[in-house]
Amino acid sequence: MSTTDLAPTPRARFEIAPQLGLAIIVGLLVVVFAWKQPGFVSSFNLFGMGRSLAVDVTVGFSQMAVLATGGMNLAVGSIGVCSVMFAGYLMQDLGLPVPLAFLLAVMLGGLLGWLNGFTIVRSGVNAFIVTLASANLYSGAMLILTKAQPINVLPPIVSSIGSYEILGYASPALVVALVIGLALYVFYRYSVPGKETLMAGANARAASMSGIAVSRSIILAHVLSGVLAGVAGLMVVARVGAAMPAVGGEDWLLPSFLAPVLGGTALAGGFVSVVGTFLGAMLVTVIRSGLLFVNISNFWLQLFLGLFLLAAVLAQRYRGLFRMRLT
Amino acid sequence: MIGFRKFASQEWAGLAAIFVLGSALAAFLSPSFLTEYNIYVMLRSASVELLVAFSQMIVLAIGQMNLAVGALGGLVAVLFGAMLQLLGLPLPLAILIALLIGIVGGFINGLLTTRTGINGFIITLATGSAFTGINLGLTESRPFHGIPVEFVALGDSRWSFVPALLWPPLIVAPLLAIFLYRTKSGRKLLAVGGNMRAAELSGISANAMIIVAHAISGGLAGLAAVLAVSQLGAAQPEIGSTWLLISFAGPIIGGTALAGGYVSILGAMLAVLVIALIENMLVLMKVDPYWVRFALGGLVLVTVGVNRWRAHQMGRN
Repeated sequence: MSTTDLAPTPRARFEIAPQLGLAIIVGLLVVVFAWKQPGFVSSFNLFGMGRSLAVDVTVGFSQMAVLATGGMNLAVGSIGVCSVMFAGYLMQDLGLPVPLAFLLAVMLGGLLGWLNGFTIVRSGVNAFIVTLASANLYSGAMLILTKAQPINVLPPIVSSIGSYEILGYASPALVVALVIGLALYVFYRYSVPGKETLMAGANARAASMSGIAVSRSIILAHVLSGVLAGVAGLMVVARVGAAMPAVGGEDWLLPSFLAPVLGGTALAGGFVSVVGTFLGAMLVTVIRSGLLFVNISNFWLQLFLGLFLLAAVLAQRYRGLFRMRLT
Repeated sequence: MIGFRKFASQEWAGLAAIFVLGSALAAFLSPSFLTEYNIYVMLRSASVELLVAFSQMIVLAIGQMNLAVGALGGLVAVLFGAMLQLLGLPLPLAILIALLIGIVGGFINGLLTTRTGINGFIITLATGSAFTGINLGLTESRPFHGIPVEFVALGDSRWSFVPALLWPPLIVAPLLAIFLYRTKSGRKLLAVGGNMRAAELSGISANAMIIVAHAISGGLAGLAAVLAVSQLGAAQPEIGSTWLLISFAGPIIGGTALAGGYVSILGAMLAVLVIALIENMLVLMKVDPYWVRFALGGLVLVTVGVNRWRAHQMGRN
C-alpha cells in the first residue's frame, strides 16, 4: 500500500481513530492517578504539568517537522541547548533586552537547522548520520565555548515569565505551545509550502516530477525543526530561570520521537498529526508526573516510556494490517 | 606502481595512512606519546570501542541500525555486576550469562523488527529506552563495586604496550570475518543486506538473517560491557551511555555501507584506532575534553562527505 492511498477518502474519518484512542488512554491515566493521589489534579500540579507539557509538545513538533519529509533529526536536543546558552550569553554578557535575546536565540536554532538541511540535501547522506554527527558538533562547540558553566544571572523577568500563572493553573509556555500547534495545523493543512512538504515526504520522486522543489522542502523542514527546538529550549530557560548546559541533548531524543509517533505521524513521511503529537506529549507528561505521585521512582520512567513507544508502533502496525484486510 | 595503486584503492588504506601520519605528528608534538604506557592506555580505551563498533557494524550489514547498543551494554554491565556481587556467581559463569543476556536482548530486537516490519531504528529506540529503564530502576544509578580483584587486575594488565583487554576484540575480528565471508550464513546475511528482495527470491530467509544479526550485535554489546566493567573496576550503570556516536563512527568511517550488504572489518578497526589516537592526542595536549565530541562529529561528517564525493567522481569516470 503506497502512502498516496492515505489521501483523504470517505474512509478518512478512520484516521481520527488513533488520536481518539490516545485521548482515551491519557484520560484514563489522569483518572487513575487522580484517584490514587488527589493531589495530582491540584492546581499546583496542573500548572507544573502544563509547563513541562509545553516543552514536550514543542520538542515533539520539532521532530514532527522533519518526520513529515521522511527524515529524522537527532540534533533536536543539541540545537535546543545551543539556543539556551546563546540566549543566556546575550542576556547576561551582552545585556541585550530579553525579547531580542529570545528572538536571536530562536534564529540561531533556525540557522543550525538550516545547516543540517543544507548538508543533507547537498551531500545526499541520510538524515540520521548527518544529524547524529551535527548533534555532537553542536553540543561539542557549545561545551567548548561555555566550558559547561551555567549562565544564571539572568534578568528577573525571565523567571517571572516562567512562574506566571494564567487563571491560576496555565503557564504562558503552554499558550505558546498551543499557538504553535495551531500555526502548524494551518501550515500543513492550508499553506502551499506545508502541503508541498508532505507531498515531498510521501513520494519524493512523484513530488519532484510534479514540480515541487523537494530539496527546498527538506531544508525548510529542518529550519522549522531548529526554530522549534530553540523555542523549547527557551521554555526551559524561563522555567529554571537560568541557562543550563545540561538542558536538551540526548534527554530529548526519546520524547521527541515519542510524541509524534504515538500521535500517528508516519515515520516514512508524508503524514503528520498535529493533534496527535499534542496528545502524545500529554501522555509523556502525564506518565512522568503520575509515576512520581504513585511513588514509583523516576528511575523506572525510561522503561515505561520505552514500552509505550513499543506498544504504540505495534498498535499502528497491526491497525494498518487490519485496515488493509478490510479493503 | 600497480602494487601501490591496489593498496591505495583499498578503503582502509587512507585510514592506515592517517593513523601513521597522525602518530608521527603526535610523537612530534608530545614526547610522552611514544611511551609504552601511553600506547597501552590508548589501546585499552580502543578495546571496548572496537567491540562497540563491531556490534553496530553487524546490524548495518543487514541495512538496519541498532540504537540500543549502549543501553543493552549498560544493562548487561549492571546485571553482570549484580551476579558477581549479590549472587556471588563464579566469574566464568557470570561472563557466560552476561553474554547470553546480551544475545537475548539482541534477539528481542531482531524478533520485534521482523515480526512487525517496523524499521529497526524506532524499535531499538524503544527497546533501548526500556533497557536503560530497567538498568536505572534496578540500580537507582548506583554502581556495583563487588567485582573480583583478579578480574579488575586483568583489566589493568599488559604485555609491553598490549593491554590484555585488546585480545577479545582481536579474537572477535577474524571470527567475524570468517563468519561473514566464509560461511553460508554469513554470505546470506550480507546478501539480505545488499538486496533483501533478491535474497528472498533466491530462497534466503531474510527474517532469520535479521534476527541472527541482531543477536550477534547484542552478544558483542554484552562482551563490550564485560570488558568495560573490567576496565573501570566497577559495574557502572552509565556504561554504554556514550557509545552511540562511536558505534556508528567506527564502521561508517571504516567504509561499511549504511545501506547494508557491505562491511569492512579492517576499516572499522582502523577507524576506531584513529579515533582513539585523536582522543589520546587531545588528552596529551591538555585540551578541553569537549573537543573530543566536536572532533568526532566533524570527522564523521567529513568522511561521509568525502566518500560521497569519491563515489560521484568514480561514477563520472
